[in-house]
Amino acid sequence: MECLTGKKILTKGNYAIANAAVMAGCQCYFGYPITPQSEIGEFMSGKMQELKRAYVSAESELAAINMVIGAVSTGVKAMTSSSSCAVALMQEALSYASADELPVVLVSVMRGGPGLGNIYPSQGDYFQSTKGGGDGDYKLIVLAPSTVQECADLTYKAFYLAHKYKNPTVLLADGMLGQMMEPVEFKKYPYPEIDNSGWALTGAKGRDGRIIRSYAPLAQDRCEFLKKLYDKYRIIEENETEWEEYKTEDADIVLVSFGSTARNAKIAVKKCREKGIKAGLLRPVTLFPFPHKRINELASTAKQFISVEVNMGQMINDVKLAVNGKVPVELINKPVGIPPSPDEIVRQIEVYNGSTSF
Amino acid sequence: MEKSFLIAGFGGQGVLLAGEVLANAFMHADKNVTWYPSYGAEMRGGTVNCSVKMSDEQIGSVQDDTSDFIITLNQASFDKFTPMVSKGGTIIVNTSLAKKVKTRNDINYVFAPITQMAEECTGNVKIANILALGILASASGLLDLQSLEKALDTVIPEHRKNLLPLNIKALKIGYEYDLSTANV
Amino acid sequence: MAVQVFKVPDSIRKNAKFSFCPGCDHGVAVRLVAKVIDELNLREKTILAASVGCSVTLYDFINVDSVEAPHGRAVAEATGIKRACPDKFVFTYQGDGDFASIGLAESMHAALRGENISAICINNTTYGMTGGQLGPTTLLGQKTTTSPTGRNREYYGYPIKIAEHIALCDGTAFSARVSLDTVANIRKAEQAIKKAFEVQLKGLGFGFVEILSTCPTNWKMSPDKAHERVRNEMMPVFKPGIYKDVTEG
Repeated sequence: MECLTGKKILTKGNYAIANAAVMAGCQCYFGYPITPQSEIGEFMSGKMQELKRAYVSAESELAAINMVIGAVSTGVKAMTSSSSCAVALMQEALSYASADELPVVLVSVMRGGPGLGNIYPSQGDYFQSTKGGGDGDYKLIVLAPSTVQECADLTYKAFYLAHKYKNPTVLLADGMLGQMMEPVEFKKYPYPEIDNSGWALTGAKGRDGRIIRSYAPLAQDRCEFLKKLYDKYRIIEENETEWEEYKTEDADIVLVSFGSTARNAKIAVKKCREKGIKAGLLRPVTLFPFPHKRINELASTAKQFISVEVNMGQMINDVKLAVNGKVPVELINKPVGIPPSPDEIVRQIEVYNGSTSF
Repeated sequence: MEKSFLIAGFGGQGVLLAGEVLANAFMHADKNVTWYPSYGAEMRGGTVNCSVKMSDEQIGSVQDDTSDFIITLNQASFDKFTPMVSKGGTIIVNTSLAKKVKTRNDINYVFAPITQMAEECTGNVKIANILALGILASASGLLDLQSLEKALDTVIPEHRKNLLPLNIKALKIGYEYDLSTANV
Repeated sequence: MAVQVFKVPDSIRKNAKFSFCPGCDHGVAVRLVAKVIDELNLREKTILAASVGCSVTLYDFINVDSVEAPHGRAVAEATGIKRACPDKFVFTYQGDGDFASIGLAESMHAALRGENISAICINNTTYGMTGGQLGPTTLLGQKTTTSPTGRNREYYGYPIKIAEHIALCDGTAFSARVSLDTVANIRKAEQAIKKAFEVQLKGLGFGFVEILSTCPTNWKMSPDKAHERVRNEMMPVFKPGIYKDVTEG
């Protein structure tokens, strides 16, 4: 597969992500293989060398994510990719990168957990990416593609947002998106390049050495820094919250679903409508920032929210916070694997609503 | 219109590649399409399968409990996937490697000695997967040969382009297979 | 006529106040590193991947572009920096815990890959910053707060000889162990640091110096006694010398 524009090709989500990263101007890739995302590293190993960019087969995910920190501290675009139990190894570095305000890009292609789990698709790392496993108060920007086209488009966006806000950014895909093929068209990188000359490490030519650090021996310094950091998160929430709505205008039941699962939820909404059930779908594209405000608005008119996820119920917590007790919030889930089928979702909706109540 | 396909066989029969060709053909015909492979523990024992879906509208699930058309290239996949053909759907069975047995009366059977045909007509058993796609095209009426030929050209890498004529030949042999004798 | 025999290197930040304990060799090591940066005229092209331990605030002392690393990951960060900017001079300055315990995988693999970076490792046979616990280089018999009756091999195993291990890696261009217990040895240390930096500039591979240092506070010794310990107890086990130098054929 090649970097190209203006032509539709059929490819796997993993390759779409890798190719988009190259086209976004990613200068360095560091990684360690893990199913179901190994195609990303495989593609990068050849492409980056061909383009005379940096590629390192890192000795571990710990090393890989810290190599990314080193590379982006010089202002370049750099990334790593991994999956669930190995992204767990990266949590410390993500906390550091948040505190150091560094534009790390991590592609996280979820598989079944906890522990070694299995290699089937899963959305079990909603918490891992949006709540964090690292220490302290920090937030990652999290983008959740739902199609292979979005795998490409949101990879571009991940690089842009990471650099725009100097904040680590996660592209949260899953084994299904990584392994499936769908037509995709690679556009030119659509975002402006961000000027990082004010902070990047370039060698202290004609100036004092810059220090990128979070270590703050004095408590007061840390208080002020955290307030500043959270001001930034508020701006990100105001500017970058992104979601898709489908038939929510008059919906009694609003399904909330992200990523690969949202595909089936959308078909389920169609099937509900055919049966006369007034269902709609809200699909968060950004998981942080989460569309709290919009969900709360919809809770004024909808009678029920249902979070549809492939895990034991994680995003439902954010849906409940957003709905804030206005109406009931239910869960339709599958613990691991490809998402519940549209028919299964419809069946569950009917169970929750005594089959004929709508 | 939305149709689902599944191709199954053992490792080395080119199951995933056949699915990729099929999916590309639908893409060239301006359809929405998805391809999804079996992977992981379910591949132990050597069976491989992939699901292809095509639709005029946006596609939700990439794999359903049942499929409208299933190609089984060996006995194990014939046994495993016969129950997964949708009612009124079609199963194409490679009788070179599977016994001609009908266990359902609510589906259509297309029996063809696909491996044998590949060997006799092209001298290459490895081309059976593409020959099967030719049978699928005529049995389903959902694709024309041009889209499949274009798909082959897309999927076959530059350094293997010398194999394109052979693949196209297999496609045509499959497409011209006499379906009137196939369901017996 | 007055002759200047000593000056603070230009690469030390103005008004920098070293936070090391009195008598600790870190101060001497940092000055040597800064002096070599001056001599090779590297300050304006240097990027430091800082570590965690007593060396954590090195960026407050040396006036170069710096980024902090999680504990043990300085060499991984340095790898990322160098791969992104091959024309910069990139180094780490770590303790034995950071380099050879929690970060041993990163250190070894960078050496094996022959990353064009330089690493300085302070070996004081203890975890200094956390109050003198047993570390990877703690000597057999040595008492620490977590080896109260002395290091024995049954419970703790053996100390690591870092410079020798790094020298075994094919990608290593230079690996040496030096000490700071005498003026003559300080001069040798400076030469070794220079060598470890020069191999990077020449693109020859991984440059490494292990510096035997004192920890008077945790050893509960005067600086003089501490240097005697370096000579009498450490140097027989951790023998100073150049273990690999690809420029010497």
